[in-house]
Amino acid sequence: MLNTVAVIGYAAPIEVARGSTVEFKLSSATLTSARAQIVKIRCGDPDPSGPGVQLIAMPSPLDGEVALTHQPIHAGSCGLVDDAPVLRALGSFSIGCWVWPTLLDAGAQTVVARWREDTQEGWRLGLDAQGRASFAVAVAGHTCSATASRALLEREWAFIGASYDATSGQLEVFQHSLDVLGGRDRSASDKGSAPRHAAWPAGLPLSFAAHLCDDGTQHLAAAHFNGKIDRPRLHAGVHSLEALRASAAALRPARGDADLVAAWDFSESIGSDRIVDRGPHGLHGKLRNAPTRAVTGANWSARTPHWTEATEEYGAIHFHNDDIDDCRWNTNLSLDIPTDWPSGFYSLRLSATDTDGQPAESHVPFFIGAQPGQARARLAFVASTATFLAYSNSAIRLDLQPTEAMLEQLLVLGPDDAYLQEHRELGLSTYDTHSDGSGWCYASAARPILNMRPHGGGYYQMDTRVIDWLDSTGISYDVITDSDIHRHGAQLLADYGCVLTGCHPEYYTQQMLDAFETYQAGGGRHVYLGGNGFYWRTAFHPTKPGRIEIRRGLTGTRTWEGEPGENGLSSTGEPSGLWRSNGRPPQRLVGVGFDAQVFDRGCAYRRLPDSLDPRVAFIFEGVGEQEVIGDFGLRGGAGGHEIDRVDTRLGSPPHLLRVATADDFGSGGLATPEEFGVSHRGLGGDQNNQIRADMTFFPTARGGAVFTTGSIAWGMALAHRGYDNNVSRITANVLRRFIDPAPFTGFGSSDEEAY
Amino acid sequence: MLTTDASQARYLIDPTRLDLAREFRRMPRGHYSLELQQVLYRMRWSGVGQRHVLLMLEPGRRWMLAQLPERRGEPLKTFPEQVFTSIADAEWTVFCLRWELLTGESISNLNLD
Repeated sequence: MLNTVAVIGYAAPIEVARGSTVEFKLSSATLTSARAQIVKIRCGDPDPSGPGVQLIAMPSPLDGEVALTHQPIHAGSCGLVDDAPVLRALGSFSIGCWVWPTLLDAGAQTVVARWREDTQEGWRLGLDAQGRASFAVAVAGHTCSATASRALLEREWAFIGASYDATSGQLEVFQHSLDVLGGRDRSASDKGSAPRHAAWPAGLPLSFAAHLCDDGTQHLAAAHFNGKIDRPRLHAGVHSLEALRASAAALRPARGDADLVAAWDFSESIGSDRIVDRGPHGLHGKLRNAPTRAVTGANWSARTPHWTEATEEYGAIHFHNDDIDDCRWNTNLSLDIPTDWPSGFYSLRLSATDTDGQPAESHVPFFIGAQPGQARARLAFVASTATFLAYSNSAIRLDLQPTEAMLEQLLVLGPDDAYLQEHRELGLSTYDTHSDGSGWCYASAARPILNMRPHGGGYYQMDTRVIDWLDSTGISYDVITDSDIHRHGAQLLADYGCVLTGCHPEYYTQQMLDAFETYQAGGGRHVYLGGNGFYWRTAFHPTKPGRIEIRRGLTGTRTWEGEPGENGLSSTGEPSGLWRSNGRPPQRLVGVGFDAQVFDRGCAYRRLPDSLDPRVAFIFEGVGEQEVIGDFGLRGGAGGHEIDRVDTRLGSPPHLLRVATADDFGSGGLATPEEFGVSHRGLGGDQNNQIRADMTFFPTARGGAVFTTGSIAWGMALAHRGYDNNVSRITANVLRRFIDPAPFTGFGSSDEEAY
Repeated sequence: MLTTDASQARYLIDPTRLDLAREFRRMPRGHYSLELQQVLYRMRWSGVGQRHVLLMLEPGRRWMLAQLPERRGEPLKTFPEQVFTSIADAEWTVFCLRWELLTGESISNLNLD
């Protein structure tokens, strides 16, 4: 078995331009060196029924041995506030905040602290292993604590707080449930004693949602809290529960309160990694490992579901013990991208023999995207990097119990899956849930991603099948990336006569949609070869390259559901969820939109009367009128996996031609939830004619046009029988015609208007 | 919060319906009759006997039987003596395991070809 994980790593940045520099950050727990080489990826799919993995060596100064060390990943999010004289000088003090714990059986968890594990010094407020509020003070290695008598409830708000009286040495801890009805009341308190006039460690940051293992220099934290923390307050002196709650209830602290040390307001700077203190000492901080922001606080009234309209009700942050944003590894290799290299899918290949004597081959992916004004072809293929990130390190098959039932076959896992099962510190995809069951909203490229590389499976691998086919045809093309479309907009697309989107361009930002809309209205031609595209509304982080965000609302095909009121993107303030729910269904852009998942078998296409329209005769050159199209490929058909259909109510253009359809899916064709309002028998593909993949053509304006196949499986059928098949023929017919600038005739002058 | 709990699976398998086992033996990858579909959904959704999976040893050629652990972070349990060169044989092996767990009746030694 090929060892694909003896070396892991990531490229920074993952999307680069010619002439810029990419750095490779590598780690191996077992090898001291490996042979490095840059390769351009033609096909990354090892399936023997397809073309197989095909890599093109790209000689570079990196060729040769690279030394390796183990670089650890420290998962788990927290907030850190640098040490300050006012923190060190605290005598008697009181600390309190709202918490919404989500994983009480995760062991002891720290909510707020100035505590270092190695020397057992400081103070910390948190939950003990039984889920009870606990406050500890440690002086000279001697720890004293007070612990409430009852465990809190998961997913219920409670105010927890504590005080230390330096004069008497008395400790007090308390917890008070927000909702005390129906058996939910977990209010309790406890007292204890500690040495008087404790001295606190110097040089130690204050931390939220974890405590530090040392003085903070090692970036190590422990006892990560799972759940939300809202409006922490720190006061000098001993204050009651009621006083602390009142302090936290005030959106702005009272001016001139000499006892107020800090009043952190997490509703400030929600789009950033900053923590803002509204108190008098400016004890601002920063977040580590991207906990979830723009989440509802204990004071959320539900008067609006969107954080930008009631920011003060979103003063909470949801921390997880498995959050990961940036591994912050050292750089092993760096490469200045030669200006004469073609754009494309690339990787750093690392080869070695592993400690068991088995061949090891690992890949660190990156993309070279053509930039505006750099076009070297009439055609651009879009690397769906937002979608690849959304699926990065997907553990759906590992964690989501019904996956086998959904896929209707025994799950086949690869060595990467087995590794991910054991190494959750890599961080999962936006399809997965954190250890506390909440969904992953962020995905970052600053960590090893196992399913975005050759041998790695996923939609990245599927798209390389399209690249392989393109290379087989000899049609010249550039590769452009999602984030470059997002950044440069329509000007990047406008360099090309035709833009090709692949098997599954599912995640789109508003800027990307705008770019495509403008491009198509301005004469651009778009070939969309996939299914379930242009579906989720996402955002790239404005200042953190390679980080996307998604919120999954209450509709759509989704593996988790966001909490009420948490469907707004923290990074931009935009709503998230489906584009269909945001008033821009895929049908309006490309004529078709998602209707069903079909995992049990593929289905062939049949031509429809529109296919005989002479204006689209070019599509079917060499294909018979009665010829079955694509009765081969992924599970036996070019239609399948996830499929899209025409719907004029959702924006399919009136002059769209539906030239073929795959609609014989049987009961395995399962409608996506947004396609039906009430459940009833007969929603499956055996009884529902809306379970189908539509092949369409429509002109846009100024000579522009769109062609779709409506199926993820389409691209997987291209290589059948050595590329000699009617799926390949139709695709080539369309691409060659779309690259040809000659106008599409016979559609009337109204076609000069933007739709 | 969406839940997809394995304990929701409730279809009762009739151990006398060996015709359904034969149907699966003939065609381990759909289309199935409605009743076989129900049997398979019961097996696959419930993850009975812990979740059996296949670990790919060679793409498209060799697979080893394995089980997913209950907890994240724990390794897969593998069965090196159970290596398959045919997906159909692997599917049948797991089908027989689950049939016995759900009905109490063993079918692995019956000739159902």
